[in-house]
Amino acid sequence: MKKIVSFFKSFLLLELLKGMSVTGRYFFAPHITVQYPDEKTPQGFRFRGLHAQRRYENGEERCIGCKLCEAVCPALAIHIEVAEREDGTRRTTRYDIDLMKCIFCGFCEESCPVDAIVETRIYEYHGEKRGDLYYTKPMLLAVGDKYEEQIAKDRAADAKYR
Amino acid sequence: MINIEIDGKKIATESGSTVIEAAHEAGIYIPHFCYHKKLSIAANCRMCLVEVEKAPKPLPACATPVAEGMKVHTNSAQAVKAQKGVMEFLLVNHPLDCPICDQGGECELQDLAVGYGASASRYQEEKRVVLPKDIGPLVSAEEMSRCINCTRCVRFGQEIGGQMELGQAFRGEHAEIMSFLGEQVDSELSGNMIDLCPVGALTSKPFRYTARSWELSRRRSVSPHDGMGSNLAVQVKDNRVMRVLPLENEEINECWLSDKDRFSYEALSAPERLTRPMVRQDGKWQEVSWQVALEYVANGLSQISGGAGAAHIGALATPHSTLEELYLLQKLLRGIGSSNVDFRLRQSDFSMDGKQAGVPWLGMPLAEINNADRFLLVGSFLRKDHPLLASRVRQAVKHGAQANVVHSADDDLLMHVANKAIVAPDAMVDLLAQILKALATEKQASVDAAVQGVSVGSEAAAIAASLAQGKNVAVLLGNFAQQHPQAAQLQLLAQQIATLAGGKFGFLGEAANSVGGYLAQAVPGAAGLNAGAMLAAPRKAYLLLNTEVELDCHDPQQAQAAMYAADMVVALSAYKHHASDYADVLLPIAPFTETSGTFINTEGRVQSFKGTVKPLGEARPAWKVLRVLGNLLKLPGFDYDDSESVRDEALGGVAVAGKLNNGLSGITLQLPSAASSGLQRVSDVPIYAADAVVRRAASLQATHDAAVPRAVMHGEELKKLNLPPGSEVKLSQGAGSVRLNVAADDRLPLGVVRVAAGHAATAQLGAMFGTIVVEATSGSGA
Repeated sequence: MKKIVSFFKSFLLLELLKGMSVTGRYFFAPHITVQYPDEKTPQGFRFRGLHAQRRYENGEERCIGCKLCEAVCPALAIHIEVAEREDGTRRTTRYDIDLMKCIFCGFCEESCPVDAIVETRIYEYHGEKRGDLYYTKPMLLAVGDKYEEQIAKDRAADAKYR
Repeated sequence: MINIEIDGKKIATESGSTVIEAAHEAGIYIPHFCYHKKLSIAANCRMCLVEVEKAPKPLPACATPVAEGMKVHTNSAQAVKAQKGVMEFLLVNHPLDCPICDQGGECELQDLAVGYGASASRYQEEKRVVLPKDIGPLVSAEEMSRCINCTRCVRFGQEIGGQMELGQAFRGEHAEIMSFLGEQVDSELSGNMIDLCPVGALTSKPFRYTARSWELSRRRSVSPHDGMGSNLAVQVKDNRVMRVLPLENEEINECWLSDKDRFSYEALSAPERLTRPMVRQDGKWQEVSWQVALEYVANGLSQISGGAGAAHIGALATPHSTLEELYLLQKLLRGIGSSNVDFRLRQSDFSMDGKQAGVPWLGMPLAEINNADRFLLVGSFLRKDHPLLASRVRQAVKHGAQANVVHSADDDLLMHVANKAIVAPDAMVDLLAQILKALATEKQASVDAAVQGVSVGSEAAAIAASLAQGKNVAVLLGNFAQQHPQAAQLQLLAQQIATLAGGKFGFLGEAANSVGGYLAQAVPGAAGLNAGAMLAAPRKAYLLLNTEVELDCHDPQQAQAAMYAADMVVALSAYKHHASDYADVLLPIAPFTETSGTFINTEGRVQSFKGTVKPLGEARPAWKVLRVLGNLLKLPGFDYDDSESVRDEALGGVAVAGKLNNGLSGITLQLPSAASSGLQRVSDVPIYAADAVVRRAASLQATHDAAVPRAVMHGEELKKLNLPPGSEVKLSQGAGSVRLNVAADDRLPLGVVRVAAGHAATAQLGAMFGTIVVEATSGSGA
């Protein structure tokens, strides 16, 4: 009896149709695969990408050199030197992040009392030689200046959860 | 003993102690801000409120004396509620600037806010603002809004510093800490206020914004400055000394530190640091390798000892050098065959050499100074020369001791001085003789025949009367007396006074290793020339260890002449200095933070320390330099592997205590016949000019104590010379002269001019004592 059933089943290509139905279902279903770099995945406002240093609206750098990010960094990727600026304020004379050490945990951002060091949505960057991914203060500030609009929007979206 | 119970723990404590003391003794912590074990009780922060059974409301533990059967709860609902309430009030006006506050990370308020503070403030109104104040180059009062008005700084000034330089003005919310009429804080102990401040209101100016407390590693060291040998906690980051804090040692510095010890670290990274060996070739300085420099020195020394003879080589070291350095220096010199080695550069009377029973020292442990009830301070700028020792004397005086002073200048000691005799330097011996005679009369004892002839003045009689009543007399000879041309006579008389009064006699050690120098045998002995003789009869070669002759020697004129006349001068120094004019080789050596070593303080305590950071550049510890130099000269016994073995050899395995002895025999008392004519020089070594390190500490050099020296005279002397105060005068001694401004000080005796030594502005003058000529310059005078 079994033999007869399987004979007809294979004769009518039922298995094939079953398999093809899965293919057909996915053929018409919405696509999940993203065609990077033509397409990109959506990001949350808490995305932790490349670091940036922010400024206030009047152009003053936010960082006050409290070194909390340096202290909290589990990868020891941050190096800071601080001195008194001419106007008597406490400012960094050096603020380096070694992105090769960084594990993008976001602790630096979380520890910052003035929202100066932030992680942006940028994840597409590279270095062509050793040392290229050692970011210094001017580099970080430049990132901040370029993407301030997006950064501010993301902080505002996150504000109510903090 | 009183039995109390704290948090259910039964404690027996002494009557008269307070609840907080009893609790801390039993290991129960009670939060506090204004309470400090060394200061009086203010009870104004209210943080230490605890519940005491049968008391209607919480009581401050710091101001509540223990009573029999008392039951205290530090953690009950009532106590915790009170503490939380106090904390909320303290935080009401405290700015939220911990991220930029230098105290952040070591702040008592921050720590206790974690334990007792709420997570958010309910206070919505404006916070109070206290304007910043400038109180000098050492202590920063930039952020006085942070102040919680605990008044520790005010009480420190009143009780320990002896001088109330900060006070609390206004009331309630307007209360603020300020100095008087915008004056600067000039106390030589002012840095302790920074440690005492529980918040970040008073912070260290040199340290401002340079590091955070959690980045610093803490290493033990010993102060290389005055004779106390204060214990230091040197805080280091990235191989650089960032700041220095006191290391508590109840027997030496307690929990304090003088500003000299605290802020001198700035000089360790001064631009004048010598970092490479240098040799002068054809009149030009050239940087060379250690090998070349040391071979040059070894060859030069062998040539001179082979030619003119080893006796033509001399070595001068400062008593700020370590025991190991001094020991190897003398071993090197004696190895070549010369005994011309000395560390007593500012001493002028060497007649006691060979007659001393042992190593001169304080004569008692430092802690015993607090127990003395009568002091005779002979020739000491106590406050400036030994700031923390002065504080101990001050505490004793506060508890009823009488201080008697014999000196040539009447600087304010910031304590009650019972009797004083301020006389010209050449009258000091006579004055001590008067005191001795008067004391003998009081005690009905026989006295040296030489003293019988003196007529006792009223001042001497008063001092003798004070000493005669004492049960615990301390007769102390200061730096000025030790540098005096009749130092041996002063010692002899002071010693007899001490014996007659049944008290103790001692020397206030000038420098960190004034005792250690003797133990290292860095003294010439019978065969060699002492510091004075070595310069009076110039040698062909000099080895200078840490020495800047124009600033460290008794007679800078003579010393410089000897240096210029010498064929070879080898300067081992941590700094580039004036030696580049006369030296042939400069060898960079490591200052105290960069070498291991030993200082033996004035009470004979042997304190060894390790290096805290690596030597800067190519500088090397001096003991290593001397060891290699010994090897190059092929001297036996220079195979040390570490400084500990040098120390053990230097001390010979014998307890130091057995070698300390102030006894003097074979010197006869000789009173000076007649007073010299003309103006006499009185020299102090200003506090921030005493050694090579402090001279280069930038912030200390910005204080009032480091101002350019002036020629100070009694007002009448000025009138006699027709000089208005502030005018410029020409001071001459021997061949040299300098121009300084004059100032009047009517507390000085007549016939003297006070001109500081150890300062570049007076380096062209002669000996620290003796006659000096004062002339008006054209353009001054009337």
